[in-house]
Amino acid sequence: MSGAVAGYLARRAAQKERVRLLYRRTLKDTLNWAVHRHLFYQDASDLREKFEANKHVEDLDTIDRLIEEAEASYEKWQHPDPYIVPWAPGGSKFSRNPPPPPGIEIVYNYGKEDDLN
Amino acid sequence: MQHLRNALTKHVRLSCSARVLEFPAAGGLVHAPRRQLCASSAATSFEDLKTRVLDLVKKYDKIDSSKVTDTADFQKDLSLDSLDRVELVMAIEQEFSVEIPDDKADKLSCCADVVKYISEAQTMKKESS
Repeated sequence: MSGAVAGYLARRAAQKERVRLLYRRTLKDTLNWAVHRHLFYQDASDLREKFEANKHVEDLDTIDRLIEEAEASYEKWQHPDPYIVPWAPGGSKFSRNPPPPPGIEIVYNYGKEDDLN
Repeated sequence: MQHLRNALTKHVRLSCSARVLEFPAAGGLVHAPRRQLCASSAATSFEDLKTRVLDLVKKYDKIDSSKVTDTADFQKDLSLDSLDRVELVMAIEQEFSVEIPDDKADKLSCCADVVKYISEAQTMKKESS
């Protein structure tokens, strides 16, 4: 009996994790689609309502089906050119202007290096 | 026409050399404040970071702002559910323009965690850029 309970709980936890990840991804994708901030607020609240609507579903198989449907629609509506934080991998500033290796310094007198001596 | 060209080349040459001259001297003065102005997420002191995180968390409308402290757990003390926490983490990501990976985002459970994560991310950014 306890095995069944443990299995139920494990499945519930996995589902919670899946929903959390799905919400995170869809929320980010909503921001990608929103051209302006005020449009995003409405879209985000709509998205939240969609998640809240199925909050009290208890049947495990129904939950699995709902999650699968939601994931399919997320895949379908994914933004082709999502926003990436500039410094993150894939961002526009990623690996730009790396620091010079240690021991090398920049001398700002262009073309007059001979004057140093 | 010749006059105009002479005047122009003279002017260009002058302005170029002027820039070369002023650069090493004024570089530090001119660039330091501008860099602070343009980067809203510039690495600031640990205390500043903490107040910014706390202010941000207080502004979230499902949180009772009087309960917000450094170590108040988002889930237990501030009574947020898992989706609220996702929203909060996303707000933090945008405020500090950092990318928090999915598995790390799950572990941020109080303001102190967030401050620690962001300061680590910013030092990493400083070293790599």
